[in-house]
Amino acid sequence: MSAKLRVVHYLNQFFAGVGGEERSDHPVSARPGPVGPGVLLDKILGGDAEIVGTVFAGDGLFAENEESCTEEALARIQEFFPDLVFAGPAFNAGRYGLACAAVCRAAEVAGIPVVTAMHPENPGFPAAGTSVHTVPAADSAVGMEEALEAAARLGRKLARGDKLGSAADEGYLPRGVRYNEVAELPTSRRAVDMVLRKIKGEPYQTELDVPALEEIAPPKPVADLKKARIAIVSEGGMVPPGNPDRFSGSRNGNWATYSFEGKDALAGGTFISIHGGFNTVFVNEEPDRMLAVDAFRRLADEGEIAELHDDFLSTCGNGGAFVEMDGIGRAWAVELKKTGVEGVVLPAT
Amino acid sequence: MSMRLEMGIFPVSRIIVGKRFGYKDETLTVDADELRELALEDGGLKDVRFHAAVPGDSARITNVLDAVEPIYKVSGRSCAFPGFLGPAKTAGEGRTHKLAGMCVVSSTYFLGPMTGIMTFREGIIDMSGPGAAHCTNSETANLVACYEPLEGASNEAHDDAVRLATLKIASRLAERTKDMEPVRVEVFELADVDLALPRVVFVDQVMHQASMVQTFMYGKNLGDSLPTLIHPNEMLDGAVVGANYKTQQKAPTYLHCNMPLIYELYRRHGVDLNFAGAIITRGHHDNQALKERSAQYVAKLATLLKADGAVLAFEGGGNSTVDYWLTVQALEQMGVRAVPIIYEVGRPGSGEFPLVFHVPEADAVISKGMQGERIDAPAVERVIGSEVVEFYNGKRVNTREAFTLIDSDYYANEWAKDINNMVGKDY
Repeated sequence: MSAKLRVVHYLNQFFAGVGGEERSDHPVSARPGPVGPGVLLDKILGGDAEIVGTVFAGDGLFAENEESCTEEALARIQEFFPDLVFAGPAFNAGRYGLACAAVCRAAEVAGIPVVTAMHPENPGFPAAGTSVHTVPAADSAVGMEEALEAAARLGRKLARGDKLGSAADEGYLPRGVRYNEVAELPTSRRAVDMVLRKIKGEPYQTELDVPALEEIAPPKPVADLKKARIAIVSEGGMVPPGNPDRFSGSRNGNWATYSFEGKDALAGGTFISIHGGFNTVFVNEEPDRMLAVDAFRRLADEGEIAELHDDFLSTCGNGGAFVEMDGIGRAWAVELKKTGVEGVVLPAT
Repeated sequence: MSMRLEMGIFPVSRIIVGKRFGYKDETLTVDADELRELALEDGGLKDVRFHAAVPGDSARITNVLDAVEPIYKVSGRSCAFPGFLGPAKTAGEGRTHKLAGMCVVSSTYFLGPMTGIMTFREGIIDMSGPGAAHCTNSETANLVACYEPLEGASNEAHDDAVRLATLKIASRLAERTKDMEPVRVEVFELADVDLALPRVVFVDQVMHQASMVQTFMYGKNLGDSLPTLIHPNEMLDGAVVGANYKTQQKAPTYLHCNMPLIYELYRRHGVDLNFAGAIITRGHHDNQALKERSAQYVAKLATLLKADGAVLAFEGGGNSTVDYWLTVQALEQMGVRAVPIIYEVGRPGSGEFPLVFHVPEADAVISKGMQGERIDAPAVERVIGSEVVEFYNGKRVNTREAFTLIDSDYYANEWAKDINNMVGKDY
């Protein structure tokens, strides 16, 4: 018979019974055994687990001193040698949720399994990140028992190191990460089942709930093109022959600055495309069909633009991850700001 | 008169490369000299050697282009793989014999320079071990034809020669059963059913970009094609032939002839739905206008078929997902309820955005999981094809030894996810 699971519970000052908003400056404190909702949680956990200690702090103090409060809470938690930390339920209390998230993240980094509970719209839920498990709670304390039951069920598995299934199967909130599983039914059967439900107006659940993409408003036009220095940037995999910065033709994360200083047009062989997603024969024969240096030099000669910036920023966008491409775009913006460039052209591939 | 296809099934689970054709107890013996002569008779290839590999073997097949399940038309107006092995007469009726559960797998290399998309991308088949679940054709008994190109052959000419030889070999093998009694006969016919049943169409979006990334229908690639109607039986008879060497994305000819959605819709035809037909469309149109035109056409054809719903299959990558989602949007806007199947681009656990493009109308999506799992491939006793291969990321590997790779380096990985029922789930 293995020893009982040792659980430490994190609460705010209100649920610890210290007081309301007037005591939200309460310092980080600890007590042995369960406190407040911990008594019910202890009962729900049953005979093979017990709440060995409770750590609590004022929400206001925590919000203003998150780093030091987190550090201190973790130290007090570790004094109880827990197998599991449970924080909350924070319901829809924002500061409390953020404190639960911070405590859980710190405890998890310290190697302690953690679970928290809060309303999906609590800002603490996204703050808990992609590794902490959060079970859903109602937006007020009326949902206490349900949240504690869900937390106890999940916490027990986490503390034992059981492999967890998906959010839907285990009853926690999706953390923004996805993994592969083998489905019970064949792919084609699931598709036909779903289309029949859709046709009949019966409820159906998509297998891929696609997050909305950020809308990007077109920037304002350049005020006076005739006075503007224009830069060219490219995700077309344009590199000097030999690919010195080792761009990959797909899922590339590198970028580099190359120059066409002193060139009125790009002859074949000055730059090549290593992009793996289109037929690069024509671009390699005539790199200006991607970078258009010839056209921009002519526009400069004709006075349509002040000049063409001599450097171009280059990456390969084929199969690029959104987050990675977003990072490259931001880095480019910083880089170009330094040069006094007023307009940027990004030819599509 | 409705189109009726009888498929005479000859299951194959073992293959012997020998001197005389034989078929008994699921064991196929092939006459290697006969097949070699057949492959070389058109003068487009330098040489070919044959090897057998069956599920469970400690074997790895490299340099794979295509996998073709042998079929032969015993009766009916067309030949198998019409447009390649004979005139492009409408397939899908009469009687076909099939050596089922086996494939002729083409393995070769190219002599010409490769650039951009027009590149052969290495994809391997592991007949056993952890990789077997990540490629197609680890579940089929394979007769691997290793072709040597003619000196000076262009990539395009060699690709054409390999395709023709592989289809001929596959059809010749099945032809040898023409006077034999099949183990069983499966009948495919869109018989009249209760008109109250919901009408569902199958929309198959295939790939076409350029040489090395194309799909053929009745012998011609889909480069300039508008979406068109096809009877599912035509596909069972080899009307659609794959030639896409973007390895992880490709649908081998074997799959074009065995589309899981076609079998599922047939299984339920007259039970809980009315299988209203199939639409072939291509992805990766060059610009937004062509993508929209194509999407509108699919939806219009579906409404001509009086479809209540559509299930969609996808072959392709980033660019062609735009064609795909626009098609879903057009279908929904024309009142056809659409359910697309798609793989996810985010790596497992990465939190990356799962799709390149999306439309709000696609609110009923079937996921076949995500790519990017690392697989530890063990050492094997036999490599069929080149032992040293270069993967798409430039990594060179001796494939006889143990090495680590990404699941998408396996042959037809996106379809392996489909037939192995993978699904992506929120965690």
